Amino acid sequence: MRRLFLIAVIAGCAAAQLPAQLLQLRITGLDGLAAKAKESTDITLDSNLLKMAGGFLAGAGKDSKDGQAITQLLSGLKAITVRSFEFKEPGQYRMEDLEQIRAQLRTPGWSKIISSQSKDEISEIYTRMEQGKVAGFAIINAEPKELTIVAIEGSIDLNDLSKLKALGVPSIPVPEKKGKQE
Amino acid sequence: MNLEDELRAALRREDPSPDFARRVAARAQSSTKPARGIPWMMWAAAIAALLVIGFSAAYEYQQIKAERASRDAVIALRIAADKLNIARERVVRRETPANTREN
Repeated sequence: MRRLFLIAVIAGCAAAQLPAQLLQLRITGLDGLAAKAKESTDITLDSNLLKMAGGFLAGAGKDSKDGQAITQLLSGLKAITVRSFEFKEPGQYRMEDLEQIRAQLRTPGWSKIISSQSKDEISEIYTRMEQGKVAGFAIINAEPKELTIVAIEGSIDLNDLSKLKALGVPSIPVPEKKGKQE
Repeated sequence: MNLEDELRAALRREDPSPDFARRVAARAQSSTKPARGIPWMMWAAAIAALLVIGFSAAYEYQQIKAERASRDAVIALRIAADKLNIARERVVRRETPANTREN
């Protein structure tokens, strides 16, 4: 009886986690683009790494406005994934390559809040709301020579994020990287 | 008895007792060798030194990992902010009539 109760509790917890996992955006279908790209950025940060980053930046950037803004933004995040490719010439990727990602963003839970499409450019922003708050958002930015996908899990204020550029984010005191950037 | 006879009597050859060889062998076996191992304080010092080195290496590794994560987080947020602003600008540009933009 006790064992059955334990199994029921574990199953209940797993079921509660399931919708969030299903709604988490997986960036797939872009394999091979890095090889064609002039420059590519591949960043995946889970909650543990974000906590470490937040802690480090809280110490390193506590005296700067930018550092505080970033620490504040990171505090509500659970995961960040960025795939960005810059090509020498146009036509290195197809819009169909984005279909796997866009299909996930058409599922219930996600809603498109900004969409701008022209002949060869797409800018789309999607958000996922939970209890009236932003629980995740995704950006697809496709230009002839550039493709960027950003997926962020967690609560974030898009206006605060938007202001980061004005603050000059790169100037925060992050020590130089010793190894090669991916 | 003169001195010479006394000496001869004292130094005369005598056979050992019947169990002499067994007793010598038994004593040789039971004798313990002096301890020549490393003293326990040396062991303790070596273990303490290893622990200090281990913890320092682990701390250094965590610091490097945190630095790298913070750098990646900053880059990721910068890219996200940049693309968010581009999308917003495009929408604003599209919704603003051309003549209004010129003014």
